[in-house]
Amino acid sequence: MKSPRKAVIATVAIGAVLAALTGCSPAAAPDGKITITVASLIPGSSKDAFAAFYARVQQFEKAHKNITLKPVEYQWTGPTFASQLAGGTLPDVFNVPFTDSQSLLQAGQLADITADVKKLPYASKFNQNLLQVASKDGKIYGIPYGPYGYGISYNRALFTKAGLDPNKPPTTWDEVRADAKIISDKLHIAGFMQFTSGNTGGWALTAETYSRGGRMETVSGGKTTVTTDNPQTIASLQYLHDLRWVDNSVGSNFLLDWSGMNQYFGAGQTAMYPSGSDVLTSLVQQNNVDPKDYGLTVLPTEGADSGILAGGNVATVNVKASAEEKAAAVQWIDFYYMQKLTNQAQSVADAKILVGAKQPVGVPQLPIFDQKTLDTSLGWIDQYINVPKANVAPFQDGVFKLTIVPEPARHTQELYAALDSVVQAVLTDKNADITALLQGVNKKVQALVDADTY
Amino acid sequence: MSSTVSSATRAPVRDRRTPLTWLKGGGLTNLLFMVPLLVIFGVFSWTPIVQAVVMSVQHTNLVTTPEFVGFANFVHVFNDPTFYTAVQNTGYFALLALVFGFPAPLIAAVLMSEVRRAKGLFSALAYLPVVVPPVVAVLLWKFFYDASPHGVFNTILSWVGIPPQPWIQSATTAMPSLVLEATWAAAGGTIIIYLAALTSVAPELYDAAEVDGAGIWRKIWHVTLPQLRPILLVTLILQIIGTSQVFLEPFLITGGGPANSTITILQLIYSYAFQNSLGGNYGEATALSLLLAAFLAVLSFVYFRATKAWSDN
Amino acid sequence: MTTQTTTAVAPEVLSATGSAAAPARQRRRFLARGPKEADAPDRGIVSAADWHRRSVKASLRPAHILLLVLLVIAGLGPLLWLMKSAITPTQDTLTNPMALFPNGADWSTLSTAWNDPSVGIGQQFLNTLWVATGSWGVQLLVATTGGYALAILRPKYGKIVNGLVLGTLFVPAVVLLVPLYLVVLHPPLLQTSLLNTFWAVWLPAGANAFNILLVTRFFNSLPREIFEAARTDGAGPFRLFWSIVLPMSKPILGVVSVFAIINAWKDYLWPSLVLHDPVVQPLSVRLPLIQSQIQLDVFLAALAISTIIPILLFLVFQGMFLRSAGLGGAVKG
Repeated sequence: MKSPRKAVIATVAIGAVLAALTGCSPAAAPDGKITITVASLIPGSSKDAFAAFYARVQQFEKAHKNITLKPVEYQWTGPTFASQLAGGTLPDVFNVPFTDSQSLLQAGQLADITADVKKLPYASKFNQNLLQVASKDGKIYGIPYGPYGYGISYNRALFTKAGLDPNKPPTTWDEVRADAKIISDKLHIAGFMQFTSGNTGGWALTAETYSRGGRMETVSGGKTTVTTDNPQTIASLQYLHDLRWVDNSVGSNFLLDWSGMNQYFGAGQTAMYPSGSDVLTSLVQQNNVDPKDYGLTVLPTEGADSGILAGGNVATVNVKASAEEKAAAVQWIDFYYMQKLTNQAQSVADAKILVGAKQPVGVPQLPIFDQKTLDTSLGWIDQYINVPKANVAPFQDGVFKLTIVPEPARHTQELYAALDSVVQAVLTDKNADITALLQGVNKKVQALVDADTY
Repeated sequence: MSSTVSSATRAPVRDRRTPLTWLKGGGLTNLLFMVPLLVIFGVFSWTPIVQAVVMSVQHTNLVTTPEFVGFANFVHVFNDPTFYTAVQNTGYFALLALVFGFPAPLIAAVLMSEVRRAKGLFSALAYLPVVVPPVVAVLLWKFFYDASPHGVFNTILSWVGIPPQPWIQSATTAMPSLVLEATWAAAGGTIIIYLAALTSVAPELYDAAEVDGAGIWRKIWHVTLPQLRPILLVTLILQIIGTSQVFLEPFLITGGGPANSTITILQLIYSYAFQNSLGGNYGEATALSLLLAAFLAVLSFVYFRATKAWSDN
Repeated sequence: MTTQTTTAVAPEVLSATGSAAAPARQRRRFLARGPKEADAPDRGIVSAADWHRRSVKASLRPAHILLLVLLVIAGLGPLLWLMKSAITPTQDTLTNPMALFPNGADWSTLSTAWNDPSVGIGQQFLNTLWVATGSWGVQLLVATTGGYALAILRPKYGKIVNGLVLGTLFVPAVVLLVPLYLVVLHPPLLQTSLLNTFWAVWLPAGANAFNILLVTRFFNSLPREIFEAARTDGAGPFRLFWSIVLPMSKPILGVVSVFAIINAWKDYLWPSLVLHDPVVQPLSVRLPLIQSQIQLDVFLAALAISTIIPILLFLVFQGMFLRSAGLGGAVKG
């Protein structure tokens, strides 16, 4: 009778499988203890970076005995975020870029944490413009952190090798072009490169447009008009076109996303590229870049209305979190993202761990509160700063004087995606019709804007 | 397909069927054996197919409640300029794949069938690329296509004095480059299929042709090719159906670029559905996938109608 | 969902490949005899007499040698390059990719690629095996029990079920992409999503109509007298299934197994949609994600490791691979 029984077992295996799956419901928490899942670092981060993160987790749990943290690897990208949101697999604390928090909160996908945020001692001190990216009708749905401004990252070692002074990075777009040509001719690598894919081509083009005084979207009378065919965007694209087809100083890879470009820079295949001012952390964690060889300057600004594109992340709480979980989540956001700016002891503790784990301290950022608070917090950790200050001084000193311009507000990712293709066209097709391509983008994105119900 | 199921029924005809007679006749056992198939196909095949049709007429993204929108999704697809680019690109890919990938394996297979020693070596070498995991092959070729003078292919070209080529970095050469990789990865499988078909050609036919004084070329033309005709016709349409759904190469090598020159229909479906942080536009994605399915069904039908007389011949 | 096997195929395709055309005949031959006999046809296009002609020799020999050279370059070349570059430092590969170890080899890349916690494809390698094993198990379970019910037990509704199963062959995989994803997010009766679990890959893999087709055909071809005799001896349907039908079906189960494992190893799109957590990701999903996060030499080492295992399997089980390809390739899309 052995074989029939086995056959039955095999036949009902599916049933068992389904039964086993239903058993996976979350275990009940012991009295008063709260467990929340929190976003940790992006996949592929170094061992040291993870060690530093876990050390902070331990410190938090020590200070909050009733809260247990469960860190999970997390990286915001359009496609993975969509499926995590839909699948309900987002951690309790996660982050989204400035560009996406408004549409998420309007779709009811972010928890209202107003009450818990108001309890924080610095609640009233936020730069209101920044807080606005994750607020609506006076309610707060997220806390902005780590704002960056657009700059040009450059390889100081390659500058020296090409006979240029790494302490005097280019300050105008013409100087950028001239330096790129010298580096490209002498070292046979790209002198200057540009993001081109994964929506980053549009992101960088927008930053370049702002630096020349143009805007991608304009609002008047409550109506948003997509204006990518503005003269400054055309000039930015013509500039790229000339670097590619006249100087040939931009290398040969025009399909690079954020990670791909960082890797190129890390391997010494390009000397300059426009990037966020916070990119150094990732360059160290992922691409083994030595901060000593790294330089950062502001994006050259010229003309009326010119400014620096600024963006950042919002720490947000899962809409499914209970009141206790929300409170715990905000405590973690306060501890991990904010206290390094507001609390001397925590700021020093954080810096110590980072230095111990060979992580960069002193990566240039913009203020969340005001410049004075930022300067004070930097003063606390002065002795731990391991990013050579002189290397990022051109950015730090320059960014004060500049107007900060936020990213386009409506359908930002779709706009960037459509612009990617224009940037690629200009760099791969000598005869690309810039104006016609931009008008195509206008038409496409305007249709999306007009279809919105709000 | 009912012809494949024997029409002979085993169960004796009964006048009255009650639950009890059903049970006694082994109905429960039958059902028990059927359960895995019914559950798996029910949940993971039949339901999703029905769902696809339903979703194509809905506006749905998982976050908001689905709402019936009639054919609006189809209209949106037809109004999307990228749709026409994707259709063109996919057609171009399929065409190039035929030009690159149809004659060469046939010639190779015919030649290989005449190898007298170390036949296994030939087959093994031809099949090696098929064994390489597709994702590895794609990532490897992406590196080979480095457009700088230090790229792998450009270095090889420089040995024979050819200047560096842009490969995937130009709208004109990107698609042929993708097809080259795809052909490399698939040709081995096609060769093996043709080889199997070649060995099944009855030797008597060649003997008879020789009695009529046929030379090698005439034997190929009058015996081999006609005998291979059914399998050639089938692989041809299957290749078209397969290449119409190409995704891996453009997605991982070029991301659809440069300037949308390699974006394909499946990639467009993917981006409708998954490339929007608020949950995708599932309605448009399924609408486009149904359009593709309908097109392929019509194409197959017409193809077999058109070639029926020829293949029966 | 196995993208490779579900395709829109008109009825004529199946009847052509299944009953009329060469592969089916081929299959029966393969299954009936050993591989050696099947690989050696009685004769080909070129007769013994032709081979004695000078013009034939003079053109066919060089043609064969040329073919061999081309096959070596195309089949072996890229793999040899990969093996070389896997142990070459990044800068050497970037500046002169075709040079042979200008500054020596660096074997440490291999262990970094396998072990390093931030790259470590060791885990993903095990996941790949696990994905393949589970998909294989589910496919075999569904195909054998379903095939048995449809071909041998033959309940009245069997014809309808069979029709519905074969009908799915005409639906391209792409149609299922989105709705199947939603099923995995919110599976019926279950409280939890299957996302980030192996079940999300295993269970859809079972809904493979091509397997059912192969297995029912094979079961139909088994002599029914044996079953009648077993029944007379008092064997019930379970006993019949386990002790008689399954042991007789080893050849076809072998074929189904090869397809199941190869497809699971190769699939990218579906697992990349449902497996986000690196702890469950197979190699095919992980490799594209880490390509720009890690150093080139380590990445190429990871690619080499991911390739060497299937290559070794192929070299060991060459006959089985090629036979399955010859038979099944024709029905794949």
